[in-house]
Amino acid sequence: MSAKPAIAIAIDPLEPVPVLVGRPDDRALTEALVKPLYAPTTRGWKLLVTALAAGMAFWLLSLATTLVVGIGAWGNNIPVAWAFDITTFVWWIGIGHAGTLISAILLLFQQKWRTSINRFAEAMTLFAVAMAGVYPIIHLGRPWFFWWLMPYPATLGLWPNFKSALPWDVFAISTYATVSFLFWFMGLIPDLATLRDTAPTRLKRTIYGLFAFGWRGSARHWQHYRIGYLLMAGLGTPLVVSVHTIVSFDFAISQLPGWHTTIFPPYFVAGAIFSGFAMVLTLMIPARKILGIEHVITMKHLDNMAKVILATGMMVTYGYAMEHFMAWYGGNKYEAFAFLNRWTGPYAPIWYMQLVCNVLAPQVLWFPSMRRNLVVLFAVSILVNIGMWAERFVIIAVSLHRDFIPASWGMYTPTWVDWGLLFGSMCTFGLLFLLFLRFLPVVPIAEVKELRRELDHHDARVAGLAGHGEGTP
Amino acid sequence: MKRHVVAEFAAEAPLLEAARALRAEGQAEVDLHSPVPLHGADEALGLKRSIVPRLALVAGLLGAVTGYLMQWYLVGVDWPINVGGRPPSSPPAFIPVTFELGVLFAALAIFFGLFALWGMPRLHHPVFEVEAFRSASVDGLWLSTVVSAEAAESTAARLRGLGARQVQIVEDAS
Repeated sequence: MSAKPAIAIAIDPLEPVPVLVGRPDDRALTEALVKPLYAPTTRGWKLLVTALAAGMAFWLLSLATTLVVGIGAWGNNIPVAWAFDITTFVWWIGIGHAGTLISAILLLFQQKWRTSINRFAEAMTLFAVAMAGVYPIIHLGRPWFFWWLMPYPATLGLWPNFKSALPWDVFAISTYATVSFLFWFMGLIPDLATLRDTAPTRLKRTIYGLFAFGWRGSARHWQHYRIGYLLMAGLGTPLVVSVHTIVSFDFAISQLPGWHTTIFPPYFVAGAIFSGFAMVLTLMIPARKILGIEHVITMKHLDNMAKVILATGMMVTYGYAMEHFMAWYGGNKYEAFAFLNRWTGPYAPIWYMQLVCNVLAPQVLWFPSMRRNLVVLFAVSILVNIGMWAERFVIIAVSLHRDFIPASWGMYTPTWVDWGLLFGSMCTFGLLFLLFLRFLPVVPIAEVKELRRELDHHDARVAGLAGHGEGTP
Repeated sequence: MKRHVVAEFAAEAPLLEAARALRAEGQAEVDLHSPVPLHGADEALGLKRSIVPRLALVAGLLGAVTGYLMQWYLVGVDWPINVGGRPPSSPPAFIPVTFELGVLFAALAIFFGLFALWGMPRLHHPVFEVEAFRSASVDGLWLSTVVSAEAAESTAARLRGLGARQVQIVEDAS
């Protein structure tokens, strides 16, 4: 299995593209999946890490400026009190939804294709949530008092106001970050044991061994593990829906035209999945090639993800249409103006960019040939990432800058600190992801072995049915 | 002093068969080790249903009740806040945090409950003394059992008879 197998793309559309090319045995699968971790560090990886570390330095500089100077270092003002910070927060947290969706919801729906990509998507989720978590905290103004958000017996006798959406956010995001981490780590334990047992050097063996906590593949352990993993998925499913719902409440329960709408929760969840899958594709298309795991993450996975992007893209489009319909049908002139302002106001180019990226670009995914074209898929995924950032900017800053009274209108211009926080967070995210690719198995090894057994079983049944012309269900 | 008898099998069917046979002969501490969960292992080892679901349910309910009572007491009783004339204790507003804390408690209970049930972290275990046992996380199928020093040789012979590819005896230092 050391030779890279060719990717089989079915000509006949009825012939399914495999979720696993070939039927490698357990040892061959293990070897293929751990190989990138033990290979010497390449020049390209070092260069990329250096470049991203430079970006991270810019992020740290922007963060330090924010801490020293204060929020005044940003372009935020009154009326635009929320701008790049909250836009980027919602963007990252939305991206962070794909991981749990893939690992939890698709697990419950018994979608076999999720197996090979869940670790990848979960890691992406963790790093995206880590990036997201920074923004609300630095936006507090005095971030060193962030713990005031938690209900603890302070000497003042004050408590957070649980009738406000912002404390809900604190609980939703911290629960999501914790549960995502536990779920990801649980999935990693058997694989860390595999790494402990295959590592070429004593140092690697010791480090992986420490994190495997002594896993020995015992049937008594597997029994609890399987049910525990399934239950975590069961918990993760409503959790992932609740998180972006609660984020949307930050806007929906306020009275600002453009925010005050009941469609926000489902529309935000669809948008989150849309952007999350786009980010998974953006990272996966190059990574599967570089790591040489194209027989495990096949065209079938990319094709399915493209379909999810198309479906959620249509839901998001429906959300845009319905917002406009309600603005007209509701008969509230402030609401109507907020939407007219998107088309004709000073920030209209961003709105048009949003429409092109989120509504038009995914339409090419209707065509199977486009879904199998890596260049097109990659381009669409990048456009969706941009479009979803633009969407949040339009919702947040464009709604805020012109509200009820023209006398209170204003404009927002980002400063270098705003840009530094945005691009710096992307670099930091990329850096964390590169480290993950280097040190942990990107594909869940134990789960792919199980997948192969299921596929073997399925093949045997199909062969049995074909052989006898009749079969037992 | 106890002995761990560790045996490798070439296929799943004889492995499960050997586990059943040893258990039928009165051995209580038979265990199987494999890179993936094996179908039929629970039945072959006679394992009872896992308590993890009950643990998760209790913890989840406890979390939700804690979440609700916390909010009710803090903003409804201890420091009532009048927001737009709504009652200080306003149940619809308490749903999000109640739900999140229910999920958080259940997830923490599952994760730490699993470690408690597994007896982990336990970085060293006598079965790790067998160098070839490393394959248990790659492609190997292993059986382990704990017997007295006198019974070790006979158990090893029995396992060879049941089709084990290799058998080793490890002294339990603990």
